[in-house]
Amino acid sequence: MKKKNSDRKKTQSFVFFRLFLLFLLFIILVLILLSSTVGGRFGFFHQLSLEALGPAQSFFTQLSQGGVRLKDKYIALWKVQEENEQLRIELDTYHSLLDEYREAYSLNRYLQAELEFKKREPFPALMARVVGKDPSFWFQTLIVDRGSKDGVVVGMVARTSRGVVGQVIQVATNYSKILLANAPSSAIDVIVQKSRVRGILKGAGENGYVLHYVLKNADINVGDTIVTAGIGGVFPSGITLGTVSRVYSNRRGMFQEIEVKPAVDFARLESLFINLSEEQLIIDEMSRSSAPQGE
Amino acid sequence: MVTVTFILLGGFLIVAETTFLQFFPDWLGRPDLVFILLVFTAYKFNWFRGLLLAFFLGWLLDVVSGVFLGSYLLLSLLLFSIVKFLSQNSPVKETAYQIPLVGVSYFVVQCLFYLFFSMAQPGALPPWSWSRVLQETIILFVASLPCFVFLNWLYEKVSQRRLVFRSMKRRSGNRFR
Repeated sequence: MKKKNSDRKKTQSFVFFRLFLLFLLFIILVLILLSSTVGGRFGFFHQLSLEALGPAQSFFTQLSQGGVRLKDKYIALWKVQEENEQLRIELDTYHSLLDEYREAYSLNRYLQAELEFKKREPFPALMARVVGKDPSFWFQTLIVDRGSKDGVVVGMVARTSRGVVGQVIQVATNYSKILLANAPSSAIDVIVQKSRVRGILKGAGENGYVLHYVLKNADINVGDTIVTAGIGGVFPSGITLGTVSRVYSNRRGMFQEIEVKPAVDFARLESLFINLSEEQLIIDEMSRSSAPQGE
Repeated sequence: MVTVTFILLGGFLIVAETTFLQFFPDWLGRPDLVFILLVFTAYKFNWFRGLLLAFFLGWLLDVVSGVFLGSYLLLSLLLFSIVKFLSQNSPVKETAYQIPLVGVSYFVVQCLFYLFFSMAQPGALPPWSWSRVLQETIILFVASLPCFVFLNWLYEKVSQRRLVFRSMKRRSGNRFR
């Protein structure tokens, strides 16, 4: 019983000692911390604490940033997809608008050029829209939306600001057929603008024109402009027809072989002008030819 | 009804050929669909209805294309008559020969057309181009297969409708007989 009491006393004194030591250690630690804080100095313990906290902070920051990135990349994509679709629709709309504006711009430029041409030229020009093109390889004709109601008569000349298009060959009330100048059956008296050399320009279908009856010693070069000679009364002089694209001299024969590229792009022709000033001239000629010869 | 439908279709094809098909490239958009229609009618239509259709198509082609009036009319009547004659009196009437005949007849017609004009109106046509004619023949040959399928389908549809209409007309009022 006595031994038990002495053991309990020993244990109590040991616990008390340990508590005292802990308290002492705490006081020392507090004193050290207080002493290092006084004066605002970032001392060793501060640095140690920061070094201990730093990695943890870094880890959690990276973790949270990863979370944010994950949210941005994937979760926010749900909205982005909708937004993307909407933007695509908007883009399509703007593209089609842009196409319209481009088309309107080019049409405007084209019409401006044609209007300037109409103002500049002295003849009363009737604007006609091309509504149909000959589908066959053999013939070069166009259908335009002007006819006898508008004063169009067979034989009238069709032109654009770029040059001669052709001649009216058939007329209905509201529509007419025009034989293009590059048709093989067409032949126009022309001169080379630079050297004033004369020749006959014949249509060669899709290959443009061929200039005939130009002597070998005539001065003709690639790039020379071919214009109407004004002989025969159908075409006034000086209207552009095309430019020389190839000159070839055969060993035999007197003449050169000259290919001419049309000034007018017949494949892309959208509108043209019909020269109405020739109406009276053509009617007079027709009435003369139909009148009896004895008169 | 069948004739009217095919005349309307021919009119549409002529309009298509002279307008929006012109915007397609040469190798794609220029098969002579009216020619295919004419050959098809030569197989399917009787002489009277076929000639009527050929006349209308030739007439319309003369109006919108070409320089010499009557040339297309003559050409389409001749084409119909020759193909019709061949399809009635030779093994060509078999289905297997129909498509090749379109190509062959197109080529022959182009040659005859050029020959005729080079004699009647020298210098009225551009120089003969083998490559161009062969290219157009091949395009036509390729295009004729789907076109024949479509035309056949249309012909059957319109014919059936006509039969139904006729049988309805013939039905007497007494339904208990």
